[in-house]
Amino acid sequence: MSRHRLETVCLLAPALAFLLLLFVVPLARLFSLAFTDEGGAFATFAILAESEVYRRVMVNTLIVAVAVTLITVVLAWPVAYALSRLKGFWFALALYGVLFPFWISVLVRTFSWMILLERNGPINRLLQGIGVTDQPLALLFNDTGVMIGMVHVLLPYAIMPLYAAMVRIDRRLLLASDGLGAGLFDTFRRVYFPLALPGLLGGATFVFLLSLGFFITPALLGGANAITLSMLIASFVTDRLAWSLAAAGSLVLLVVVLVLLGLAARLLPLDKGMLAR
Amino acid sequence: MRRRTFLATAAAAGAMTGLGAFRNAARADRPFTFTSWGGALSDAEKAAFTDPFAALKGIEIINASPTETAKIKAMVESGNVEWDLVDVGGRTVWQGGEDGFLEQLDMSKIPNAAALEKGWVSPYGIATSTGASIMAWSSTAFPDGGPQSWAEFWDVKRFPGPRGLYKYFYYNYEAALLAAGVKRDEVFPYTTEKADMALAKVKELKPHVSVWWGAGAQPPQLLSTGELALSSAWSGRMLAAEAEGAPVGHTYKDGIAWANWWVIPKGSPKVDLAHELLNFALSEERQAELLTLKTYGPVLGAATAGADEETKKVLVMTPENIENMLILNEEEANKYSRAYEEQWNQLMLG
Repeated sequence: MSRHRLETVCLLAPALAFLLLLFVVPLARLFSLAFTDEGGAFATFAILAESEVYRRVMVNTLIVAVAVTLITVVLAWPVAYALSRLKGFWFALALYGVLFPFWISVLVRTFSWMILLERNGPINRLLQGIGVTDQPLALLFNDTGVMIGMVHVLLPYAIMPLYAAMVRIDRRLLLASDGLGAGLFDTFRRVYFPLALPGLLGGATFVFLLSLGFFITPALLGGANAITLSMLIASFVTDRLAWSLAAAGSLVLLVVVLVLLGLAARLLPLDKGMLAR
Repeated sequence: MRRRTFLATAAAAGAMTGLGAFRNAARADRPFTFTSWGGALSDAEKAAFTDPFAALKGIEIINASPTETAKIKAMVESGNVEWDLVDVGGRTVWQGGEDGFLEQLDMSKIPNAAALEKGWVSPYGIATSTGASIMAWSSTAFPDGGPQSWAEFWDVKRFPGPRGLYKYFYYNYEAALLAAGVKRDEVFPYTTEKADMALAKVKELKPHVSVWWGAGAQPPQLLSTGELALSSAWSGRMLAAEAEGAPVGHTYKDGIAWANWWVIPKGSPKVDLAHELLNFALSEERQAELLTLKTYGPVLGAATAGADEETKKVLVMTPENIENMLILNEEEANKYSRAYEEQWNQLMLG
């Protein structure tokens, strides 16, 4: 074995051993539970296939994840661009503005949104005060509340990779494009956007995957129909005490996600996003 | 590489063995652990039951929270039981009996249980204090008082405003049937006709329900900020909020009375002590102690006799309150909850 290889093994070994013992082994044990139902190895999957609730919750969860990803990416783009153009004090201020909420617990942020979005909360009072609406808007305990809460929590995950891509773009390329006669839109479309794309895809992937597993925010800000897959699986565990069903539900979710990512990787240059150098 | 793999495996195995030994040692030495729901109920149980018992026996008792049925099951299945006595919702008593993760109680060690109403004693758990799911309202929305029956709670013309209900079929089965005019003594046993009727009744009110609450702290909080006009709620939480001056009101009329049940996880290393504490909590003196705390009341009818008029109003087991209430049949509730989970979720998804 070459010295270089040995070094690589030594560097990776602690993290790999940690992951293997505390993640891969428990995960395998969890998934093996899915096949241990009294009704037979695939009984749990049959229950899920027959359950309209499971199917609808799965679809809902995917729709919410896609919507949140789109909104987050659109909001993150101008912020990341501004970050990439700022210098010195203003850059530090803006960066902390993005990162500071990131350091506060999701639970605290979600509760803060509950206070802000209430019927008698500050946002509704402001809107009524300036005459935008005469009835308090229903911002809480529905999909609006869930979207606001999730987008807020996930924004930094989209901003940081985008910023990292944008800050590396050589401004001289834009000048060259301009000098060669391209308009503002053409320069954006043919030079700037392709160069920022890896960051965009990386951020979008993070946000999409994280929003699939959301639990606290929809549970607190959502209405009756805001059941996400993680909430349903949790109810299999804690309420129904049907752990093999919970394991099967998780396994199906994992497979669906892997298939979706596989498809996305074929259609989009995802590898450039996740592994961009 | 092969030698390295071997060494790594050996080290990991060693670490695991060490961990196991450590865990076993911790199990034998750990203090008696009582786990409950937190909030007003845990405060009451600590003051009336576990602290005096610890002082009497000269032992240390850990009061933990929150309780969680799935955790009991996990502890029992992994053979590492860390809770010796647990306060659970009534449904867990029957779930645990069926699934085999609860210790069958030895009634000869709990002589005080004989004085309880029959409905409060079962082979796998005994009720130790009472509470109720009641109607509560924002006194800003209804200064002259809120609904006095579930039928009135369902009446959106007389009592307009956003409502809160519990997020599972539990409690709502009973409330909806009472709202539909079913007599109290006909709510149980559950039948498919009754369950379907209850689901239809909930569906009727659903457009006016803005919050399906899951935590007991939610109703008093949402009612006091005005987010909700009226809601179902746990009695102890409302009494605690009112004592703190929150602008909320409640009634026990048409309430759904239930108990806080104590169970012993199967394989607890302190099963004898757990029986002893259960018996201690059911003594008339300890039960009467709950009266002074004014949140959750005694389960022993005889213990309510010494209460003053003010306290009697907040006790579930006083004759003037219980005659207007429905006693929740947990065994039946366990059945309809299991049978109707899918339909309930479909209704929620709308």
